[in-house]
Amino acid sequence: MRILLDKLIINYPYFAAVILFIIGALTVLTRSNLFKKLIGINIMESAIFLMFIAAGNIRGGAVPILDEANPRAPYINPVPSALMLTGIVVSISVTAFALALIIRLYQSYGTTDARRIAEMKREVT
Amino acid sequence: MTATIKANLPVFVVIAPLFVAFVLPTFARRIRLVESLVIAVGVLGLLGTGYLASLILIEKGIPIIYSMGGWSAPWGIELRVDSLGAFFLLVVAGVSLPVALFGVDNLTHEVGGSAQTTRFYVLYLLLSGALAGMAVTSDLFNVFVLVEVATLSCCGLVSARNHPRAAEAAFNYLILATLGSALILGGIGFLYIITGHLNMGLASQELGRVWRDYPHVVWMAASFLLVGFGVKAALFPLHVWLPDAHSTAPSPASAILSGLGVKGYMICFTKVLYNVFGTTLMREFAMHRILVLLGMIAIIAGSILALAQDELKRRLAFSTVAQVGYVFLGLGFANASGLTGTLFHMASHAVIKSGLFLAVGAIITTTGKHRISEMAGIGKKMPITMAVFTIGSLGLAGIPLFSGFIGKWYLLSGSLEAGGSLAAVVIIAGSVLCAAYLFPMIRIAYFEPAPVEDWQDPGVPQRIALVLLAAGVVILGVLPGPFLELAKGAALELLGSM
Amino acid sequence: MRDFVLKRVAALLLPFIQMYGLYVIFHGHVSPGGSFAGGIVVGLAFIAFATIYGLERGRAKVPEKATTLVESYGTLWYGLMGMIGIFKGAPFLANKLAGIDLGELGALSSGGLISLIGLGVGIRVASTMVALFFTMMEDES
Repeated sequence: MRILLDKLIINYPYFAAVILFIIGALTVLTRSNLFKKLIGINIMESAIFLMFIAAGNIRGGAVPILDEANPRAPYINPVPSALMLTGIVVSISVTAFALALIIRLYQSYGTTDARRIAEMKREVT
Repeated sequence: MTATIKANLPVFVVIAPLFVAFVLPTFARRIRLVESLVIAVGVLGLLGTGYLASLILIEKGIPIIYSMGGWSAPWGIELRVDSLGAFFLLVVAGVSLPVALFGVDNLTHEVGGSAQTTRFYVLYLLLSGALAGMAVTSDLFNVFVLVEVATLSCCGLVSARNHPRAAEAAFNYLILATLGSALILGGIGFLYIITGHLNMGLASQELGRVWRDYPHVVWMAASFLLVGFGVKAALFPLHVWLPDAHSTAPSPASAILSGLGVKGYMICFTKVLYNVFGTTLMREFAMHRILVLLGMIAIIAGSILALAQDELKRRLAFSTVAQVGYVFLGLGFANASGLTGTLFHMASHAVIKSGLFLAVGAIITTTGKHRISEMAGIGKKMPITMAVFTIGSLGLAGIPLFSGFIGKWYLLSGSLEAGGSLAAVVIIAGSVLCAAYLFPMIRIAYFEPAPVEDWQDPGVPQRIALVLLAAGVVILGVLPGPFLELAKGAALELLGSM
Repeated sequence: MRDFVLKRVAALLLPFIQMYGLYVIFHGHVSPGGSFAGGIVVGLAFIAFATIYGLERGRAKVPEKATTLVESYGTLWYGLMGMIGIFKGAPFLANKLAGIDLGELGALSSGGLISLIGLGVGIRVASTMVALFFTMMEDES
């Protein structure tokens, strides 16, 4: 029990990431409001970003810019942060595109609720 | 000059479509110019990939490695044209050119207006570039980026028609696909955390050393990647987005989405599975059993769902779900014949399904009818279109002398080698079901009295595109020579890198 | 009259925000930040202008044609910078291998082609943000 607790405390960013991921996934799958689905997607992606960045972190590590005075100081791994910048760009484009689609759906159906849209479609056919 | 171009071909085949895509919006008013640019990129791509493939064939499969910016792995990003890459590049170039040709003159009418058509071509070229990138990349993070580029362009293509149903299908696809990419990114993250490498070869070496220390992390990575790519490639229980998306898109878009879009994710999954995990780890974690099981379920369920559809495009979309099953089945066999069969089936399905979707698109634009039961006598009115549809159906059902047969034959021998007689039965049952859901259309089209309306085959560019794809089906079936050679080489490469 | 303060403050601040964005773009290789972050800041300055002064005046500052052109040619600029390597006989996107003088470590000029590529990416990101904003706002009305 003690070891488990220690592990949990040391690896807390990963647990936070898992919890965030589950919150996001549940929001996507259970909410019928399109905006809430989109927010769920964003929470889920943030969880993955958090996991990556936590993996690159070293406690007490320096910024990964060369320090002339102390060139051998431990520095955090910049690769995951750089990768996650790309991930953030991707998630921004997904969000923007999804918002545009929501606007179009709202214009044609007058609602942003996935269940209402499905009902209206069934009434038409 | 030619030497420079040849040396840089691996990067040109990827960036040429991407950069042309970004320049296209500035020519939006001159639709002729846009169309000819897209066709030119397609022709150049076909020439370039043909040259790369011939190099690989002559050199007996020695991969061409290209380091971006001169930084070799592990520091830089590496492009790697091996047999698998050359094979898939050839498929992408060979299918995307006829599909682009089909759009000439026709697309404006289907998506409305020249601005929309230009937007369509931008997304189309982005998708082609991303697929070409997937073929040659050997970097895990690049896999994620390319998958995202492809997904976003696919969603854009689905929503290209200004119709509320298209927007809804695109939104559902976008949400599920983003769920999938989050899972893929998570899986790649787990691999990076335990190996410290993003290059596939180096990650694989490191994984072989450390997997015993982190069995749970390897499990998590594998399951995240399987579910993530499963959503994207429409593996059976995760296929829910596909029928709506593929049936509401404009016909050239459905053709490229069903024919190539889904295949790109499968190529990435194949690379991650065999080039990173390797066969040893797959057996250790029983991944191959899971893949075989999922593949069998997908074949049967997809075929039965296809039988239940009356709308022609939806039937074809569900047929894609069934054919995806074959690919996952072959990946699970993990032997040379199974993998050769899988890769060849991927190529032949790409050609056949784009041909079928284009033929159906031509029928729908001419007649305005969507249901199979309403298509009586079309064969007499539109002989070329219906002939292409017939050749495609025969190919998909796996009749000898058509391309589907060879892939299924290798899959069958792979299943017997792997000792799965149930899988062999499922493969044959899938073919029978495939005939059951495609042949009624042929019967109705040829043997029922035609209505009096004046329907005709589509215009010249459309006819050329259709005939090119049908010719592809027959050539792959009668003279598979170099393609089969490449597929075999790719299978051996994938198995060799354990 | 109600948003007099807002308008005055924006008029004072926005030029500096844009300068800051350009600073972040050009110092991407020697300090934290880079072309994407800087481009977002530049784009946000335009978006803030349009939200405070009204859509029409914002549109007058950045017409649709301009965003399309910048988006297309910003990317093409990136491609051309990458091609320099190929013309010099080195791989795509080569920097030092293409014979570019990298200068002194830590200096602003030490990035070679990176600052130039960053400029292309930065203005492209900025124009994309602006284009996205206007597309959505104009769709609604």
